[in-house]
Amino acid sequence: MAGAQKSRSMSRRQFFGTGAAGISSLAFSSALVEMLLNSTGCKSGLKPGLEGLIIPEDVLRKAVGFLMAKGADFGDIFVERAATDAVTSDDRKINTSTTIEKGVGFRAVKDGKTFYAYTDSFEPERLYETARYVADAASLGGGEEAAVVNLTARTSTLAFPITPLPTDVEVGKKIDLFQGLTERAWSADPRVVQAMQLMQEIIRQVNIATSSGELIHQTLGLTEFLVQTYVKDQQGSLQAAMDMRGAYAGRDFFTGENSFETVVDNSVRKALRLLEAVDSPRGVFPVVLGPGMNGVLFHESCGHGMEADLVFKGSNFKDQIGKHTAAKGVTLIDDGTIPQFPGSYAFDDEGTPSEKTVLIEDGIQRNYLCDLVWGKKLGLKSTGNGRRQSFRYPPVPRMRNTYIEKGTIPPQEIIASTKRGIYVGDVGGGGQVDVITGNFMMGVGEGYLIEDGKITRPIKGATLSGMGIQALKTIDMVGSDLKMFPSAGRCGKLQSAPVGFGMPTIRVRGILVGGKGEAWEDKG
Amino acid sequence: MKEKKEYMDLAALAVDAARKAGADAAEACISDTESVQIDVSGRQVETVNAVREAGIGVRVLKDQKLAFGSTNELSRKSIQGLVQDLMKKVVFHTPDEFNVIAGKEAGQIEGPWAGHAELVTYDPRIAEVTVQEKIKRAIELEASALDTSPKVVGSMITIYQDATSYIYLANSNGIAGWFPAAGCGGVAMVSAAEGDDHQSGSYSRACVKYADFDPVAVGRKAGENAVRMLGAKPIASMEVPLVVAPEMAVQILSFIVGMLSADEAQKGRSLFAGKIDGQVAAPVFNLIDDGRLKGGLATAPVDGEGVPMQTTPLIVDGVLKTYLFDSYCAKKGKTKSTGNRTRSGYGSAGGIGSTNLYLKPGDTPPESIMGGIDRGLYLTEAIGLFAGIDSASGDFSLPSAGFMIEEGKLAFPVRGISIGGNLFELLKAVDTIGSDLTWFQAVGSPTFSVKTIKIGGAG
Repeated sequence: MAGAQKSRSMSRRQFFGTGAAGISSLAFSSALVEMLLNSTGCKSGLKPGLEGLIIPEDVLRKAVGFLMAKGADFGDIFVERAATDAVTSDDRKINTSTTIEKGVGFRAVKDGKTFYAYTDSFEPERLYETARYVADAASLGGGEEAAVVNLTARTSTLAFPITPLPTDVEVGKKIDLFQGLTERAWSADPRVVQAMQLMQEIIRQVNIATSSGELIHQTLGLTEFLVQTYVKDQQGSLQAAMDMRGAYAGRDFFTGENSFETVVDNSVRKALRLLEAVDSPRGVFPVVLGPGMNGVLFHESCGHGMEADLVFKGSNFKDQIGKHTAAKGVTLIDDGTIPQFPGSYAFDDEGTPSEKTVLIEDGIQRNYLCDLVWGKKLGLKSTGNGRRQSFRYPPVPRMRNTYIEKGTIPPQEIIASTKRGIYVGDVGGGGQVDVITGNFMMGVGEGYLIEDGKITRPIKGATLSGMGIQALKTIDMVGSDLKMFPSAGRCGKLQSAPVGFGMPTIRVRGILVGGKGEAWEDKG
Repeated sequence: MKEKKEYMDLAALAVDAARKAGADAAEACISDTESVQIDVSGRQVETVNAVREAGIGVRVLKDQKLAFGSTNELSRKSIQGLVQDLMKKVVFHTPDEFNVIAGKEAGQIEGPWAGHAELVTYDPRIAEVTVQEKIKRAIELEASALDTSPKVVGSMITIYQDATSYIYLANSNGIAGWFPAAGCGGVAMVSAAEGDDHQSGSYSRACVKYADFDPVAVGRKAGENAVRMLGAKPIASMEVPLVVAPEMAVQILSFIVGMLSADEAQKGRSLFAGKIDGQVAAPVFNLIDDGRLKGGLATAPVDGEGVPMQTTPLIVDGVLKTYLFDSYCAKKGKTKSTGNRTRSGYGSAGGIGSTNLYLKPGDTPPESIMGGIDRGLYLTEAIGLFAGIDSASGDFSLPSAGFMIEEGKLAFPVRGISIGGNLFELLKAVDTIGSDLTWFQAVGSPTFSVKTIKIGGAG
């Protein structure tokens, strides 16, 4: 590691300011990521002040002026450079790929309407042209006004250091890691018939200049790791299971239960267990959801309905502030400040500082997830949830790390007091949710029967369906074992965004379990 | 929007640079796209997003090792930098004897790909029509949905979207050319209410020609879909004939075609692996992938690696004839590519995907299919297809909605039920295929009926 450090600082100096022509002098690291890192100062995660901006402050100031010159109420410019290095292992073949992208998005908001355009150029003239185009579109016959906006750099105490930087690790080392992991998966059991692994290291450097004079400069480094393993038994039954982790951090995050090896082992173990599983019973009966990643169920079926745009349009959480939307004892939080977690950041993608937002407190709806535009329509302040996938998209209200707060009941007690039901280890089987009505359907990846208060046989083919708000209202036990899950699963609400989930062990009574097994009723 | 000669030159430059740096073969693909998305809400514009972007994706092959990289920084310097980077990394990759850059022997021609005009892949009007005009159409789309009936109470999603792209492709095996592609369309989702009952309904349409997109018709269909579900209720468990509506059928076809990828079959991940020449569906069932369908949304002269698109009958009279192949899987399977390498843009190296996929229509009008059923289920919605169908066995149990058929007619709406069975048994139990082939984006299906289905009354 020490050697790698040394060569990096050498190449860094050599490379600084030489642009793409200098690439050929770099050996064995991602030249493109290196190029990006060199121009950002992302070591601290966030660089205060105007130094190292992608586009000079005077150009941004002038462009904001053009954007606001035709009477828009609000506007911002979102400058981004992003590089993605990926390593994949599929069918024992290990490959890498690199993507580098840049662009500038321009937004003007007038009377609650958003006008947006982007360009892939950093040339000042193209920026001014695009700013004028958006200003014209937003003006709808409005008059000319002089717009002078002074930009002031914002700082934050939140930092997301990336250690090691993707460039600290030679490509050969990453390949070595993947060779080890590939071998580990394939040799774990003779029944393994396919194994896939993917690691993505994404560096995003962002500048935001707003018409209210904010100037944001932040760099985020996201590392994602996903695996899927297929197993087949002698009868020809095929099963697959996956596991994943993601973090705004470098590879150093992936240790202990987040280690690459553990993630691989988990997917093998889960897939093999499915081969021995019995058909899931069906009906409405107690479902005990294990801690951690099952939080995705509430993210999908409830969280979306609390996003300001969907609330405004009539989701079933509309007009619910101060009312019961969950059982007593249930507290739902969306937190964008958890160090290293995939939904965290210092500022959202329209410049609002991130925060911890209490959505439901002890069963009562307290707030919604707001960005500037939709929050205003609801008469609420932005909660720092204005996010965008990239410079190609205007921001929309999105979740960050959404979790159910811990309760007081020891998890063993929840299982012990369940006479007959199922225990869901993870809802990793994919699914579909109507985010407006909260109607959901999710496949159970890892599940077990609970018989006489004990976890017994593994089950397969189980699906969970119901209504989000109904699920929240029928939670009757909340465990003391809150676990946060740094997911690599992207939330896709027309745009994709990294998010985290969490929850303690809980028990729900109002979910319909689908399966090929016998019909069960709720017997407590 | 017009073709740019300099992009053809840049693609060639990338290929040359790779060859000079020691690549055995190389390929470059540039896509240049102009697109508009308009979101409408409450008869007003909510968001207008105008897009213009071009980028390049490069693949290099050396010693049977393949590497991919992409960027939207289209300077000569940056492209040369990208190629250098790929050449440094490719040595670490796993060699694979089937890695391949497509060659001329696959039948490609040089230059602007002739034939795109006859195939109708492009309509210049899409890029010419002003944003203001498109905003009008988007507002019309929503208004048509809202005005269907006083019972339509709100609009959830209304989007008009279009795109015009120029694709430039060059490789070291003699492929060099470009073609334009375009499409436009819209989606509307509205809610209807009566008393305490709320139901949602949606509809979408996409086409190549601007003039073919009828926002009023799409909006009306969305409105009707919401209103007709009012009063939906669960029914008791039963086993009855099933009629699948086109909008539901296309989802089932999309699920099936995912398993008909040669890559999935070769890696043993598909339930259709080893079933070539086997009876996998009823004899009336003919599934076709047609990359040359005139005016089809996915129609193009060549696929993502320059292999001519073709018409591929996948299931003929219920018998599985072939999988979908790209050049890699074709080499591995000792056969020819079916022209199914699809790429989602310059940033994607691509993978196997269907082009215009459809179930061949029969002669029976959908009303006649329904007319012959005394008591049955007309299925319009099922959620969680990908989670609810067991990839090991094909067993499924899906929360569903639709209509009860009584004495040959739609009697009342149904929701809160699940349908259960086995996908392969369902395909074999298809008995009548309708004449009403309906396209949703690039997948089309007529109405079809299935002998029986198990309905679980969940409510």
